[in-house]
Amino acid sequence: MPSQDDTVNESALSLFSNYALEGSIFDEMFRANGRPRVSYEKLLQSILELQASELTQRQQAADLTFLNRGITFTVYGEDSTIERIFPYDILPRIISDQEWKTIERGLRQRIHAINLFLRDVYHDGRILQEGKVPFDLIYSCVNYQREMRGVNVANDVYTSIVGSDLVRLPSGEFAVLEDNLRVPSGVSYMLANREVMTQVFPGMFGGYGIRPIGHYGQALLEQLQTLTPKGRDATIVLLTPGIFNSAYFEHTFLARVMGIELVEGADLLIHDGFVYMRTTSGLQRVDVIYRRIDDEYIDPLHFKPDSTLGVPGLFNAYRAGNITLANAIGTGIADDKAVYAFVPEMIRYYLGEEPVLQNVETYLCLRDDERAYVLENLDKLVVKAVGKSGGYGMLIGPYSTAKERESFRQQIQEDPRNYIAQPTLSLSRAPCYIDGHVVSRHVDLRPFILYGGEQENTVIVPGGLTRVALRKGSLVVNSSQGGGSKDTWVLQED
Amino acid sequence: MKYYTIHHHTRYRYSSEVSESTMEVRMQPRTDRQQRCLNFRLEVWPHAQVLATSDCLQNAIHYFDIPRSHSELLLRAQTLVMVQESEPLPESLESSEWKALGEVAATGHHWDWLTPSRFARPTPLLSDFAEEIGFGQDQDPLTALFNLNERIHAAIEYTPKSTAVDSPIDTALDNRRGVCQDFSHIMIALLRKAGIPARYISGYVFLDPERKKEKEISGASHAWVEAFLPTTGWIGLDPTNNSAVSDKHIRIAVGRDYADVPPTRGTYKGNARSELTVGVHISETEDEDIPHDLLDNGHVTTRELVEAESSTRLRLEQEQQQQQ
Repeated sequence: MPSQDDTVNESALSLFSNYALEGSIFDEMFRANGRPRVSYEKLLQSILELQASELTQRQQAADLTFLNRGITFTVYGEDSTIERIFPYDILPRIISDQEWKTIERGLRQRIHAINLFLRDVYHDGRILQEGKVPFDLIYSCVNYQREMRGVNVANDVYTSIVGSDLVRLPSGEFAVLEDNLRVPSGVSYMLANREVMTQVFPGMFGGYGIRPIGHYGQALLEQLQTLTPKGRDATIVLLTPGIFNSAYFEHTFLARVMGIELVEGADLLIHDGFVYMRTTSGLQRVDVIYRRIDDEYIDPLHFKPDSTLGVPGLFNAYRAGNITLANAIGTGIADDKAVYAFVPEMIRYYLGEEPVLQNVETYLCLRDDERAYVLENLDKLVVKAVGKSGGYGMLIGPYSTAKERESFRQQIQEDPRNYIAQPTLSLSRAPCYIDGHVVSRHVDLRPFILYGGEQENTVIVPGGLTRVALRKGSLVVNSSQGGGSKDTWVLQED
Repeated sequence: MKYYTIHHHTRYRYSSEVSESTMEVRMQPRTDRQQRCLNFRLEVWPHAQVLATSDCLQNAIHYFDIPRSHSELLLRAQTLVMVQESEPLPESLESSEWKALGEVAATGHHWDWLTPSRFARPTPLLSDFAEEIGFGQDQDPLTALFNLNERIHAAIEYTPKSTAVDSPIDTALDNRRGVCQDFSHIMIALLRKAGIPARYISGYVFLDPERKKEKEISGASHAWVEAFLPTTGWIGLDPTNNSAVSDKHIRIAVGRDYADVPPTRGTYKGNARSELTVGVHISETEDEDIPHDLLDNGHVTTRELVEAESSTRLRLEQEQQQQQ
């Protein structure tokens, strides 16, 4: 809602007639007094200079580009699965240089501590012995892989490819909502969003100094090369579960930009302790697998015996140090939603520092007093199953029915370890162009972190994927639940 | 102190050609406080390079793969092992040992041995069984252990082939018949329920010449249980035979239950049924009379394995049940 003294015409102003500002929610574009934030001034000017019809045309052009390129994802339902294009909003989300520096510092610190934690848990377990993290929480985690005990991984890098979800609190501060340390997805949408943006709004880039993100593929490749002594000569492949996976588009996309082979389990085999890829000219030794398959499916000899997606015997090659897996096996203990609550403690314990980015307050249902509180306040809290992602297995108290709450009450009581609860957050809102109006919708931010063994070897392309809850009032940004995304701009230093 | 030479032969026959066999073998005895593996050799036909590693519990693993097509797979393991008699146990302990067990649990070090695992998990039938045999009412945990060993032995009849390699304990509890694997899983599940850390031991047992005549075998793959008490450390118990372990028990691998430590585990590619034949011969080293080929002279147990489905890659139940 631009103030009336802006020199714009009536029709442009009507674009904003449905834009709501609420004191309790941080608005990415406007300050509480209705004036635009400095970083958004030029964007607002551009919007006001365009007619609504022109914005609509550009939105349509963008949608068409996504469709033509086959940038889609799969929604899993109980009865059917649907292929959809990823909804895209044409107005960018803007992050100032200052804000980004804090985010970057916080994520480097956090992911470093998490890697030290993973090393510790699968070796000496000091943090468990000292009671800083309860051992039963780790050992009971479904993603705890006992077989990783004592296994050394390349450079002690357990999770090198990370996507952490940040939200912006009413204070304007960014906080971490969850970390995705196993096979995070979404980076291809970040890159595609930028490409589409430059096509649809070529003029808008001129006025802004926006930090580039197009080097992500190269940075990822370089990061994977550091995980083997062969370096640039290494043979690296991307292992996909196949075309039915919801992120298959991303797998093909990343393999292409890195110039590496996209393989399925059946394309690989183990011989005399090494991993080989079947090629038209015979077997080729593989050094690094960027795997987009979950631990449980990666080796039917060691994990799920009925998995046809993996490579039998891979784990023994891994244990012998003959193959690098990125990410390592067993990283899921650190993104378990209950273990998440202890990440600030990990930062203090391993680094002796205070966390730069805060966690969201989290109640562990396995603790009697916290569970009692959760059960009394189901209508106010967000309850999450610890091992689920993508917005599945979740109860949003204020928007839930009595029946849903009752169902969660039972599930929590039956298996308290499996549930946590958090206050219903007022995620920040950003401008979106929907049905001829600029309206505000809730957003989060998933930056993509490439961890290289130390904080200084960590690469984070500026920005990330801004996901937006396109339905009015909705707080769920997951693509599987009606969410979309928008381009994310990090501005250059002034 | 006893020395044993063990020959363990395994043959898989496939109903048609298979390829890309991948296999993992746990047959090398552990070297630890009570025993020492002096020599271990594993030969594989068709020829394959056998590599060695160990799992997270320091059990030795040998693994190999055979890419080309084959219709038979032979493993011949030869072991020389030295075993010491275990330390004598007291008759009983103080009742305060129960409390000490609680303190052990609180450290987390015995998590794996105190929580249910795939085959050793509580079921309603197990609870009924515990009540029936009056488990857990004893003065001290050591007495409870001995009593439990005896009562499981009395309640369940050892019957070869009465259960399958992947049978849950309920099958044996229901029929009151089982093999050593079932005796062990039932005991482990009960011990864990009572807060006593318990683990599964895969190994061999050497049979006395008299029993040898009676059973027509010289020794066999076997499984039993170890339980942990703070005062004594790990105690070996053999519920199948109602005995403590002796210098006739040779320990290969330690696991939460059978699923952690099958003697062989593998996959292959091809539409074929497989038939597994296993022969074990154990002799004290002065015994020169080691048969040349165990698979063709009657010292065998043969069992039809899984029916193949029409998938291109099968994961076999190429896992041997520990009979005896």
